[in-house]
Amino acid sequence: MHFTYKIYTVLVLLACKYTLLQAQKVVRYDLYVRDTLVQFTGKTRKAIAVNGQIPMPALHFTEGDTAEIYVHNERDEATSLHWHGIFLPNKEDGVPFLTQMPIPAQGTHLYRFPVIQNGTHWYHSHTGMQEQSGMYGMLVLHKRADDTTFRKGIDDLPELPLILSEWTDHRPDNVHRMLHNANDWFAIKKGSTQSYTEALKEGHLKTKLTNEWKRMSAMDVSDVYYDRFLINGRNESSYGPFRAGDRVRLRIANGGASSYFWLRYAGGKITVVASDGNDVEPVEVDRLLIGVSETYDIVVEIPADSTAFEFLATAEDRSGSASLYLGSGIKQLHTPLPRLRYFEGMQMMNDMTRMNGRLNDMGMQMALQRMDMNTVMYPEISGVKKKKERKKKSGTHVHETQAAKPADIVTLNYAMLRATQETSLPADAPVRELRFELTGNMNRYVWSMDNRVLEESDKIPVKKGEILRIILYNGSMMRHPMHLHGHDFRVLNGQGAHAPLKNVLDIMPMETDTIEFYANAEGDWFFHCHILYHMMSGMNRVFSYEGQAPNPLLPDRAAAYRELQAESNRLHFMAQNDFASNGNDGMFMLQSARWSIGTEWRLGYNNRHGYETETHIGRYFGRMQWLMPFVGFDWRYRSAAHAGNGKNLFGQTSSKDRRAMLSIGVAYTLPMLLVLQAEVYQNGNVRLQLRRDDIPISPRIRADLMINTDKEYMAGLRYIFTRNISARLHYDSDMGAGAGLFLNY
Amino acid sequence: MQFIHKIWIALPMLLSATACTAQIKNMKTETVKIQGNCEMCEHTIETAGNLKKTVRLDWNRDTKTAVLEYDSLKTTRDEILKRIALAGYDSDAYFAPDEVYAALPECCHYERSKKGGRTPAKPLRPAETAATPEKTAAAEAAPIQKVSEAYFTLKDALVSSDAVKAATAATRLSEALNSVKMEELQPQEHSAWMQVEKQLKTDAGDIAATSDISRQRASFASLSQNMYPLLKATDKAEPVYYQYCPMYNEGKGAVWLSREQTIKNPYYGSSMLNCGKTTETLR
Repeated sequence: MHFTYKIYTVLVLLACKYTLLQAQKVVRYDLYVRDTLVQFTGKTRKAIAVNGQIPMPALHFTEGDTAEIYVHNERDEATSLHWHGIFLPNKEDGVPFLTQMPIPAQGTHLYRFPVIQNGTHWYHSHTGMQEQSGMYGMLVLHKRADDTTFRKGIDDLPELPLILSEWTDHRPDNVHRMLHNANDWFAIKKGSTQSYTEALKEGHLKTKLTNEWKRMSAMDVSDVYYDRFLINGRNESSYGPFRAGDRVRLRIANGGASSYFWLRYAGGKITVVASDGNDVEPVEVDRLLIGVSETYDIVVEIPADSTAFEFLATAEDRSGSASLYLGSGIKQLHTPLPRLRYFEGMQMMNDMTRMNGRLNDMGMQMALQRMDMNTVMYPEISGVKKKKERKKKSGTHVHETQAAKPADIVTLNYAMLRATQETSLPADAPVRELRFELTGNMNRYVWSMDNRVLEESDKIPVKKGEILRIILYNGSMMRHPMHLHGHDFRVLNGQGAHAPLKNVLDIMPMETDTIEFYANAEGDWFFHCHILYHMMSGMNRVFSYEGQAPNPLLPDRAAAYRELQAESNRLHFMAQNDFASNGNDGMFMLQSARWSIGTEWRLGYNNRHGYETETHIGRYFGRMQWLMPFVGFDWRYRSAAHAGNGKNLFGQTSSKDRRAMLSIGVAYTLPMLLVLQAEVYQNGNVRLQLRRDDIPISPRIRADLMINTDKEYMAGLRYIFTRNISARLHYDSDMGAGAGLFLNY
Repeated sequence: MQFIHKIWIALPMLLSATACTAQIKNMKTETVKIQGNCEMCEHTIETAGNLKKTVRLDWNRDTKTAVLEYDSLKTTRDEILKRIALAGYDSDAYFAPDEVYAALPECCHYERSKKGGRTPAKPLRPAETAATPEKTAAAEAAPIQKVSEAYFTLKDALVSSDAVKAATAATRLSEALNSVKMEELQPQEHSAWMQVEKQLKTDAGDIAATSDISRQRASFASLSQNMYPLLKATDKAEPVYYQYCPMYNEGKGAVWLSREQTIKNPYYGSSMLNCGKTTETLR
């Protein structure tokens, strides 16, 4: 794989100074944040490099050190650095507008904290989308040699810090905007459109129809298409030499903004020895899925000389992978993971979704990743099935397949993690129970907790000295890696006093998990989904200790919190126009989590065809956001000689030639994703309209349909060339047939 | 944009269909070693390696070498050899994944030079290996133990969707059921046994008599229901988990017993292996 950094600014100024300070070692790093240009795909793109590199340099400390990290922001945008999984004073936590004000453009900031723990951690920017642009790096806290928990055969192995990540050639802000606009370009790139023709070919037409009947759009295990997947910034790399029988400890952090990775090794079993920086009893598995922002320490053995064994990190959606070869010599590859069987997944979602959009776990009490419903999509487990073999079965259960091979692949789950030490919390501390339901809506890309985004929530008060027991239920259709700042929590997984400590909990759809932590810190701590685009859509909360001392880095705490809230509920803009032979057909829209402001237009080229615009300002209600009441303004002009005044289906006269009308109405999404719009105009006229856009006919063909009680109708077909360009054919009752170039932003 | 690009490339090519020997630019030629046996191998290797206008590969069966011509600005030798390895063929840069090699047609199973590699995954059953001596002792002592052993073997066969093994295991189970002497049973075992004996024997016989796995599973659902009161009444060396899948039989659900807490559903193939939950732990 060709892989060159083109870096404008040549820089490597990593000063690592050791100073003895009253028998305590101060370890200093200087980090220079600069703009850079990269070519991960061959195309030149902007990125952010720290000390001239992506990922950011790996920082090493030993428990007992004092960390001094100087951040020199040499860019024209504010930044911040968050120390993921670290116990530290609140003002060092690095969340802009929550624990400090952002480090301004061209500013310098010192993070200084005592290192009071050990383990594999990482650090990243907590500002905007900077993490996706390259601001992630390893943070390794070593045990002291005299540590009583030092494990011979594990802690003395050669070790290699690995940070996983992904790269997109799109600007991350634009990725975020596209997600909010339900742009399915990523699905086209991934081959996961799940269109009607594909459904037909695979004998899943009924599945697709049921899916749309239940008002779901195509399902996927991830949201974004990435051009490259990376280990330590490279798609392929080698590390060695090793001799047969050598063991190596891989300290792995998932620094990806939104990708989970399957970790597999061509040289045999993987032994998991720590999770999120906390030791666990060694457990042997064939593979594990590392959630966004999780860390795992694993030990692998090099089984033969003069062979390099592939350590393969495959994105959960299997759209790509990154490889590290351990050892030297001929490279022993691992079997790539086969493509997901999306329609099997769709069928599973159909079975488990009620008509009201809520999930139904059929009483299976899922928890701790033990029952992975996605398994129905994994050909390596459920066996490769030929198209014709699939028989229609009656009843709801359709996952029955004759296995092609025994399912003896051992996959790690949270129930298998057992802490090496007792982790029980103080028995006399008061326990407070909190429940959160993770909620979301893929169609409008709104992610929330208890159907509230951060902007709709106050900080959650915490008393120092109490135990918070949090019960999380994931009622959304995506998995979420929930991360708590500044604390480790116990995952109640049946291991009793040895419940493992983590700071990220991956929770799959329909799972219920219980975590608990001892509130022994001070300040305001973020609790959020670590998928960057979910976090920036509002899936966050803040735990706030009562009676905390003022934070010197945050002069106006209330105003800062409002800024934090606003940051994850911005307005997203979209626009499209069909430059057709019979006129222009288009719209623009501004949307937030709840609000939508949009204008549609149909502009003919002459007075006979006429001109019309409709503007709606509406608010979405309900968890699924199927209901949107709105107020509207309608303006149209058409030369009277050609239009006349038509009667609508209710016998009311509707003026087509010249009108400017206010209206109120409501839009509601019906089964098959048909949008029913009922509108009353100021003159008492009523209009009902049914509309469906973007029916996925084939991977790149979309159909649109519209009909209303003013006896207007429209049908269109469009072929998608690129993210922004399509060709469109349509017929409109006012303007007739047209062909045109369809542009969208 | 890419699409338009492709049209521009495709058009002149269509017009000059005669000049179809595509020219490779910046051509580099190398000879590489690639393992293989037969004509089918040759086809697979060349299909995996060749790329229009970028790579031309000619593999020789006798010398096991390939002449590689490629555009050195667009690809590398390693990239080509990796594709070939992922199709199942070792070279001097890559060893094919074992699973891919194993899936090659019989005639293509060339001799491999590689050492080590990924040993086929074995199920992790520490509880079983650790407790073996104890268990055999217990089996002699308790007659029901033999029945439950046979039952668990049957269940495992159904988990791996192996109808033949299931039939064999069911035969064992029938034997074990027939060898139970009522006078050796504990009082509570005795009363449970009286209630389920007949149905257990019928179901075990039915499973043994067929190789149709869906019929075996239907009988197994009934068998498991009757095993539950029996095992509940028995003294056990280790816990037994009473598990439930709500989906089987069009949502009517079905139960089974297992020595592992991890769900391994015997009613479906491996695709729904993890479907179910533990409803009770029998100790």
